[in-house]
Amino acid sequence: MTRIIPIVAFASAVVAPLLIRSDSTFAIITFGFLLAALAVSFNLIFGFTGQLSFFHAAAFGVAAYMTAILVSDYGWSFWAAIVPALLAVGLLALAVGAICFRFKLREFYFAVVTMAFSEMIRLVVVNWNSVTNGTLGMTVTAQPTLWLPTGSISLTGARTWYYVALLILVATYIICHRVLASWIGRCFAAIRLNEQLGETLGVNIFMYKLLSFVLGSTLAGLTGCFYGFYTGFIEPQYLSITQSLDIVAMVLLGGVNSLFGPVIGGMLLTALPHAINLTAELRIILYGAILIFVIIVMPSGIFGLFSRPRHAV
Amino acid sequence: MIQLVIGQLLNGAIVGALYGIVALGITLTFGITGIVNFALGAFMMLGAYFTWYGYEMMRLPYPVAVIGAVVLVGLFGLFADRGLFRFTRNNLVNGLLVSIGLISIIEASVLLIWTSTPKDLTYVLPGSLRIGGILLPKIKLAVFAVLLLVIGATYLALTRTWVGRAAFAYSQNPEAAALMGVKTDRLQTVVTVYSTALGGLGGALYASLYSLEPTLGAYYVLKAVESAILAGIGNTIGALVGGIIIGITEGIGSVFLPTAFRDGYGMVFLVLILLFKPSGLLGSK
Repeated sequence: MTRIIPIVAFASAVVAPLLIRSDSTFAIITFGFLLAALAVSFNLIFGFTGQLSFFHAAAFGVAAYMTAILVSDYGWSFWAAIVPALLAVGLLALAVGAICFRFKLREFYFAVVTMAFSEMIRLVVVNWNSVTNGTLGMTVTAQPTLWLPTGSISLTGARTWYYVALLILVATYIICHRVLASWIGRCFAAIRLNEQLGETLGVNIFMYKLLSFVLGSTLAGLTGCFYGFYTGFIEPQYLSITQSLDIVAMVLLGGVNSLFGPVIGGMLLTALPHAINLTAELRIILYGAILIFVIIVMPSGIFGLFSRPRHAV
Repeated sequence: MIQLVIGQLLNGAIVGALYGIVALGITLTFGITGIVNFALGAFMMLGAYFTWYGYEMMRLPYPVAVIGAVVLVGLFGLFADRGLFRFTRNNLVNGLLVSIGLISIIEASVLLIWTSTPKDLTYVLPGSLRIGGILLPKIKLAVFAVLLLVIGATYLALTRTWVGRAAFAYSQNPEAAALMGVKTDRLQTVVTVYSTALGGLGGALYASLYSLEPTLGAYYVLKAVESAILAGIGNTIGALVGGIIIGITEGIGSVFLPTAFRDGYGMVFLVLILLFKPSGLLGSK
C-alpha cells in the first residue's frame, strides 16, 4: 500500500493537467509541489534522523536570494547560478551543522541554536540593502530558458511551471528515497532511535548527523533556486522562523514516519486555505486549528492512517 | 557618551526584566511539564490588549485594568491547559507545535477583533525623575519595581510554600515527588496557568511602555527563551538575570555596534553560552 501510493500519486500528477482548466488551480498545485519538496527534504532531517532543525527556511531563502542576485545583478545564466547557490547553502549548513553536532547539541538546544543561526542570516539579508534590497524584497523578472532537443523553451506560463515544480518534487523525493534505502538511511535510523547504542555499534554519529543536515538543507536550497523565479518575488520573510514552522506543520500533518506523508501535508496545507474562501485572519485561525487537531488527535499524521509500521520498534 | 551608556544600561535592565518575566514562565513550564510554551508570547500580547481595553474602553484605573487582564489571561491559560497542553506533557516537539497553533489562533483573533492599528496607552503615568543627570521616566521605574517584586515573590513562593516546594521537587525528580504525594496533574495545571498569568502580567505592563501590535508576543517570547536558556533553564532567579543580561547586551551593543543587528547580539551570546556552557551561566555543571 505505502509503496503504491506515491507511484500512483506522481503518475496521476503527470496527467492531471489534462483536466485542469484554470490558471489559479495550476498556481495552487505548483506552490503545493514546491512546498511539498521542502517538506520532504525537511523530513530527512527531522523525521528520519530525529533532529528538529529550524535552519530549513534559511537554506531555502539563501539559495533563492543567491540565484536571483547572480542572475539579475551579475547576468549569470539561471542554470549556472544554481551551482554556487547550492554550494553556498551546503557550506553554510556544513558550518552550522558542524558547530551544533561537534558540541553535541540535542533536541531543544539544537532547535534553538539552528533557529538563532537562521535568524542571524535573516538579519544579514534584511540589512544588506545594497545587495538584497532589504525588507522591500527583490523582484525577479528574468525567466530561465530550458534547452530541449526540440528547441529552447522559456520557463513561463502555468503549465510549464507545474511540470518544473513536479520535477523538483519528484527529484527531491527520489534522492531522499535512495539515501534512506541505503546503509546511510539505516545509520540515520540508528541516530533517531538510540544514539548511544548506535555509537557503540560503530556508527559515526557526528558524520551521519552532519550528512543528513547538509543534504536536507541543500535539497531545500534546490527548491529555493526555483521558487523565486516562479513567484517573481523574493523577500526576507522567506528566511523567517514562521516559514520554518510552516514546513514543520506540513510534515506533521502528513506524517513524520513516512517519506510520502510530507507530500500530502505540503499539498494540503497549501491548497486548503485557497479551497475554502476565507479572509486572511480566518485562514490563519483555521491553520492553527488544523495544526492542533493533528497533533492531539492524529499524532501519526494523515499518511499514518494508511500505513502500519512494518516492525514494532 | 558615559550618559548614553548608563542610559542604555538602565533601559536594557528594564526591557530585560520584561524578558525575564516571560522567561520565568518558560522556565517554570519547562521544568514541570517538559515543554517550551512559545504561546506565552501570545498570552503576553493578550494581557497587553486586555489592559488597553480595560483602561481605554472601560475607563478602569490602570492597576485594576492590569489585575483584570492578568486574571483573564490566567483563565485563558487554564482553558489552554485543560483543552490542549494536557495532551502534550513531556513531549517537546508536540508541545512546541500545539503552542504554535495556539499562537496563530490568538494572534489572528486579536487581528480580527482589534485590527492591526497600533494601540497606545503610554500616557498612563507621565513625567520622569532625574537621577544624577539621567532622565528616567516614572512609568519605567514603576514597571521595573513591579517586575522585580513579582519575580522575587515567585522565588519566595517556590522555596517557602508547599506548592512551590512540590513544584521544585517535581522538577528535580518527578517519580520521587509523586511518591511523596505531589499530585502531578494538578501541579502541572497550576504551573501552566501561573506561567500564562506571568506572561499576561508582562503584557499588561508592556502596554504602559510601548504601543501595541498583535505580533508583539512573537518577538518577546524568543527573547524570553533566550534568557531562560542563557541562565540555565529551570533557574527561577536566573530567568530574571538572563533577561537583564540580554536586555543590556542589546542596549550596549547598539551603542557601539550597528543598531540594525540589535536582535543578533543577544543571539550570538546565547549560541556561545550553549556551546561552551550548556547548563547556562548560572548552571552548576
